[in-house]
Amino acid sequence: MNDTSSHEFDVIVIGAGPGGYTAAFRAADLGLKTALVERYPTLGGVCLNVGCIPSKALLHTAAVIDEAAAMAAHGVKFGDPEIDIDSLRAHKEGVVEKLTGGLAGMARQRGVEVIQGTAAFTGVNELEVSTGDGSRSFSFTNAIIAVGSRSIELPNMPWGDPRLMDSTAALEIRDVPGRLLVVGGGIIGLEMACIYDALGSEVTVVELTPGLMPGTDADLVKPLERRIKKRYQAIHLETRVTGIGADDDALVANFEGKHEGTERFDRVLVAVGRTPNGNRINAAAVGVDVDDRGFIRVDEQMRTSVPNIFAIGDVVGQPMLAHKATHEGKVAAEVCAGEKSAFDARVIPSVAYTDPEIAWVGMTEEQARAENVDYGIGKFPWAASGRALGNGRTEGFTKLLFDNASKRIIGAGIVGPQAGDLIAECALAIEMGAEAEDISLTVHPHPTLSETVAMAAEVFEGTVTDLYIPRKGK
Amino acid sequence: MSNTIEVKVPDIGDFSDVPVIELLVSKGDSVEADEGLLTLESDKATMEVPSPVAGVVRELKVGLNDTVSEGDVVAVLEATAGDAEADDAAGEPTASGEDQPGKALPEETGKDEAPRPEPEAEARITATESAVPAPADEPPPRSDSRGLPHASPAVRKFARELGADLRQISGSGNKGRITRDDVAAHVKQLMGGKGPSGAAGRIGGLSLDFPEAPQPDFSRFGAIERSELSRIQKLSAGHLHRNWVGIPHVTQHDEADITDMEAFRQANIEEAKARGFKLTPLVFLIKAMVASLKAFPTFNASLDPDGESLILKHYFNIGIAVDTPDGLVVPVIRECDRKGIMELAEELSVVSARARDGKLTPSDIQGGCISISSLGGIGGTGFTPIINAPEVAILGVSRSTMKQVWNGESFQPRLMLPLSLSYDHRVIDGAAAARFTRFLASRLEDLRRLTL
Repeated sequence: MNDTSSHEFDVIVIGAGPGGYTAAFRAADLGLKTALVERYPTLGGVCLNVGCIPSKALLHTAAVIDEAAAMAAHGVKFGDPEIDIDSLRAHKEGVVEKLTGGLAGMARQRGVEVIQGTAAFTGVNELEVSTGDGSRSFSFTNAIIAVGSRSIELPNMPWGDPRLMDSTAALEIRDVPGRLLVVGGGIIGLEMACIYDALGSEVTVVELTPGLMPGTDADLVKPLERRIKKRYQAIHLETRVTGIGADDDALVANFEGKHEGTERFDRVLVAVGRTPNGNRINAAAVGVDVDDRGFIRVDEQMRTSVPNIFAIGDVVGQPMLAHKATHEGKVAAEVCAGEKSAFDARVIPSVAYTDPEIAWVGMTEEQARAENVDYGIGKFPWAASGRALGNGRTEGFTKLLFDNASKRIIGAGIVGPQAGDLIAECALAIEMGAEAEDISLTVHPHPTLSETVAMAAEVFEGTVTDLYIPRKGK
Repeated sequence: MSNTIEVKVPDIGDFSDVPVIELLVSKGDSVEADEGLLTLESDKATMEVPSPVAGVVRELKVGLNDTVSEGDVVAVLEATAGDAEADDAAGEPTASGEDQPGKALPEETGKDEAPRPEPEAEARITATESAVPAPADEPPPRSDSRGLPHASPAVRKFARELGADLRQISGSGNKGRITRDDVAAHVKQLMGGKGPSGAAGRIGGLSLDFPEAPQPDFSRFGAIERSELSRIQKLSAGHLHRNWVGIPHVTQHDEADITDMEAFRQANIEEAKARGFKLTPLVFLIKAMVASLKAFPTFNASLDPDGESLILKHYFNIGIAVDTPDGLVVPVIRECDRKGIMELAEELSVVSARARDGKLTPSDIQGGCISISSLGGIGGTGFTPIINAPEVAILGVSRSTMKQVWNGESFQPRLMLPLSLSYDHRVIDGAAAARFTRFLASRLEDLRRLTL
């Protein structure tokens, strides 16, 4: 079907998000002649430009604002913050520019040819890139599709009105609205709510399902829920936004369900999920298996139904996470180079960078129960951690799930500040097949939040001394 | 069906009289299961006393800065009627479509799965046990989570690169952990021929790992019936498969001019008949075979399993493939070198009859040096017989036909017998096989040479 010699590029990667640039850089490092096609002038995709990175820059600001206020209880009063929104935006953009500029430099150093424009397949060895001034064809031996996903736009809303935002627009922080409605109580919605709340907006969150962050164990979400319930204007669960109207001085939202009625907001953020871009590159026409929703089917080598075309990242399925995409990108590049690589990660951690942070990896309790796994829990409340106490943040806990037969860790959930950093140890433990004792007998530094991971394992074993637990079943 | 529940101070370690430092709820508040009611402080830590159920706070029994000890009642709750856990539930299943509010979002998203319904309330952890592992008798037990090989990511990668199946490797590490060395040893073993026998098995230092043949549902394509293999077929299947796969076969074809032999046979056929048996060409083949084995000793041999030496035999027992209603059997005619044509013909008749009647004993089929399979009575111009290991060769004989043969001056009608000699190329090389077959043919062409 394809010969390997006569094409312009050994590999063309479509999409320069974290998955795409990783694939391109790895391919180049393996000696392949590589091109990277990106429709925007900067590399990095959603993650670097309008996702993970700018949101974390702003969330850090939000955390400092909140923490400064919390210091009043420690006897240190800072007074109300003065927020210069232009400087804040400039700082955030500086962070993004530094990272994306770094990527462009690394692409140059590796000899990866960056082609700006929108790609569409014209054959199994050829694609066309359209730019403002025409289009050009490129031939390839292998292609890697890394075209990602986009925000879902709900119907009956005045898209085009700048007061109605998706996550990209919300991250621009054009101003600090007085009243903000966040449609969608998932990770992104709650992170953005967290930022705008800290900056001073009155936030209302509306969620269709009965709980925030559906799919996450309810106990993990509870400390966050408790905190934001006090701070936000309202949290409406089991409520649908049937439509949003626009008049001169407000957006008018209609609610239906547990909470009914009509309310006025200065801004509305819609964060109800993302949809893959698989059907925007003419891939199906050359034989790539793309489903109705735009997901592309791949095998564990990230190969699509066309043997020399690969796909990675959001476009191949959930979870839509940058750290999944980067690993898949490396696999695809290595397979293009003839290596026997495959994506066989057992778990992919998830983190909500809210305040408190929520992180989980592997099996959730809900999942373990649904699959009838014989599991045990070790749960260590941060109220018993001296460090958490010193930080003034004792609402969190660390929960580990173990297989009762093998005593190996199969899942973990952590809620509290820095949970996203703490979960990495649990991911490593699961991949390594660590038993409860492997974790508890590893000396963790005192006093740190990381100790709570070891102590949760001790709770499971019944050897913990920082808590008293009656010996019931043991 | 509302009921009142007293919330007591859980075990809080070796402390008593610890102060209440924070009241998180007040009388009349609705609380959810696991929601904190109040915070206690011991020397080193603070700890929330969580609500065991969802409900309404009827009474708070303690105030700020009161001191409490394990077992003290701190609050009285009225549990919500019905499922006390209702509010705690993560949600009903929703479609996993993309346009669900609250679904996973871009860079840091949730799971693909829709939320699952909350399981039984009794599977929840109660307040006093909030930090204790779930009792083991709740979910139905399961031996291991997912039956995944116990190997780290780096070892998994190493195995993948070598094409080794981790599920076939037993780990030497703690509790069966598969180490890098285990993978290397497994692969080395396979290469060295001491691996496990898989679907395909292994023969003589060779391991084969090919996929199983597809098993379609044949009845989809038309009527079928199932007919069980005979006992002999089942027994010979394994031998034939092993021999065919495990021995490097080469088949040498030749023709013997048996015009004169056939004339001689016809001349004596009546005498045999008078003695009660048939004088078949096979008897002459046996004699010619004996002469050939004497001239080429490596054909009367077996390969030592150690692969280091050849076992040469000084006896001449010849197996004869006999087609029976139950399948193929190979009885052995012993000491063929010491028997005359008529004697062999008589023995052959007797043994063939016993074979067809299914009356062979194990000793009848043991001790062969080489085999002859004759399909001449049926037809054909040549075939590739499978060596009957541990023998190293087998002679296939097809139907003789009259052919025009150039004798140097003219074409003459000659009766030609096709010979197909399959041999083990590890023991016999091609030139030897060609010489052997020609030698054998030449004995048949002129029976007087048998006496040389």
